[in-house]
Amino acid sequence: MRIVHRMLPAAFLAGLILLLAACAQMQELPSLPASHPEALAIGQQADCSECHDDQAKGTLKALTAFSHTPAFVKNHRFYAASDDRLCAVCHKSSFCNDCHTNKVEMKPSYKFGYRPDREMPHRGDFLTLHKIEGKLDPASCYRCHGRANNERCVACHR
Amino acid sequence: MKRALCRLLSAVSLLPLPAAASAAETAVDATTIFRFEQRDISGASKQDLMPATQFLGLDVEKLADGNLSLHFSGWGRADLADKSYNNDRVDGSFTYGYLQYRFKEANANVRLGRLFVHEGIVNEQVDGISARTDLPLGFGLSAFGGATVHTKHLYGEKSDGKGDSIIGGRGSYRYRGLLELGASVVYEDNAPRLVNYATTTHRLVGGDIWLSPVRMVEIMGHSSYNTETRTLAEHSYLINLTPVRSLVATAEFNEQRDRSYLSAWAMFSGAALNPSDKSRSLGGSVSYDVAKNAGLSADYKHYTREVGNADRYGVTGRLSFLNNAVRTGLGYHYLRAGSGFAIGTNPSASYHELHAFALYDSAGIFAALDGIDYIFKDKVYNEKSAWEGTASLGYHITPALALSGDVSYGRNPQFTEETKGLVRLTYTTTFDRKGGKK
Repeated sequence: MRIVHRMLPAAFLAGLILLLAACAQMQELPSLPASHPEALAIGQQADCSECHDDQAKGTLKALTAFSHTPAFVKNHRFYAASDDRLCAVCHKSSFCNDCHTNKVEMKPSYKFGYRPDREMPHRGDFLTLHKIEGKLDPASCYRCHGRANNERCVACHR
Repeated sequence: MKRALCRLLSAVSLLPLPAAASAAETAVDATTIFRFEQRDISGASKQDLMPATQFLGLDVEKLADGNLSLHFSGWGRADLADKSYNNDRVDGSFTYGYLQYRFKEANANVRLGRLFVHEGIVNEQVDGISARTDLPLGFGLSAFGGATVHTKHLYGEKSDGKGDSIIGGRGSYRYRGLLELGASVVYEDNAPRLVNYATTTHRLVGGDIWLSPVRMVEIMGHSSYNTETRTLAEHSYLINLTPVRSLVATAEFNEQRDRSYLSAWAMFSGAALNPSDKSRSLGGSVSYDVAKNAGLSADYKHYTREVGNADRYGVTGRLSFLNNAVRTGLGYHYLRAGSGFAIGTNPSASYHELHAFALYDSAGIFAALDGIDYIFKDKVYNEKSAWEGTASLGYHITPALALSGDVSYGRNPQFTEETKGLVRLTYTTTFDRKGGKK
């Protein structure tokens, strides 16, 4: 196991070197645009198929897979884990951090009280609810509060 | 030393900005909020809270050769009356701040500073560097490394239980928009020794998949393995079926083994978690767009844990009018859960959830009404329900500048009564031709 631990920094550096070496081969590989060419309506659950067809270029996934249906919004973590470069074409980093952050005091639903249409966590009296939900599905708490944003947790959980 | 170096690098990365900012495009998101809240806690004196909070986000694009950009977000708060959150009358946080260089080819970029990393099973915040690129033949590679961004120290400890440095990355392979396979790893420095808590060092390896053999079917998910506990940590998979554009059916399966998945969560004594305890949930949903401006969805999920099992099901409806200027929603869910999940000695944790909202947004005035009510099957601290209603009204002074105010009132088991109000000033700009923030 110690050998593995010693090898990791070397492996990390090797990865970076490989990355740089690969740059020489990059001329032929296309990039996503830096931003969406047209502004999208705020509050509209974007339907990519309105303008984009199903033809995926190169290794790109079909853009229709990213249409913001209620199911997509609910399960967006699966897409963000491998395609956040596509998310960044339309969304700023701060859009994610409206809900996902390291240290924040104000509930998102409170900060954005004028946007109740957005899916915001911990609406209403979650102080009571978390005593049920935490036992029901601790993994959903851990995703946001296990490695970050733990100040309120520490206040009581001793 | 490593941590200090990473912090220094993060700070130094911001120094060349003034010289590079000649042709830059700047977007600002600033929100100033003055809150007014009166809390009436059962068995305690009333509290008057008046915190003032400033959120600031900054995106500066097209620096240097046009491919360099700066991104920053943070907030600060000052209490003008009773302490509102913790023992500090003044507090704040630097959420992220990084320089990004975006290459013109291969979706490659390099980021330096404080940043969030989401790659496969990796979900971290670091002070350091990340790099990613597509490679020939459908391959892709990303790597990151730096100092861990620490959180609040655990009670009675001089640490949050996290190691000081972290590295990781993801390799992937894509095939013709039909398949993506990924392998990712996160390796954190040894967790510190704690006096009152047991900890396990945070080290995971995992794989992820996205498969779409035909357009109407998507299968995606990931599995992770904890190399410290030497057992599987998580399986999380989702299937989407879209037979027609307006109909989406999903099925999902999630399983987490507490001893492995939650082991680095020192607050709950990770290493002391029951090795046999696991969380499993299985469910599905159907959403149907009745029209472009109307949608219905229904969902169901079954939870299984050592202490018992539970079911949650419900329906949600959405409707919009006047070219989306008026948006409304209505939802009902019921959680059926037994005593294993209950608060205190209650025989049941079951509750009904009702949620309704309506909002109006125009170039001038914007307004919103929002109500949520949790009705408990068995009273919690002698209260039958927890409800809150919020009304919001605002005015766009200019397209970028808006002034708004919210008032909310509620009753719940924690606070006999909760009356809250706030005044909010928001200033939001976006780039020309750049898709909006929301």
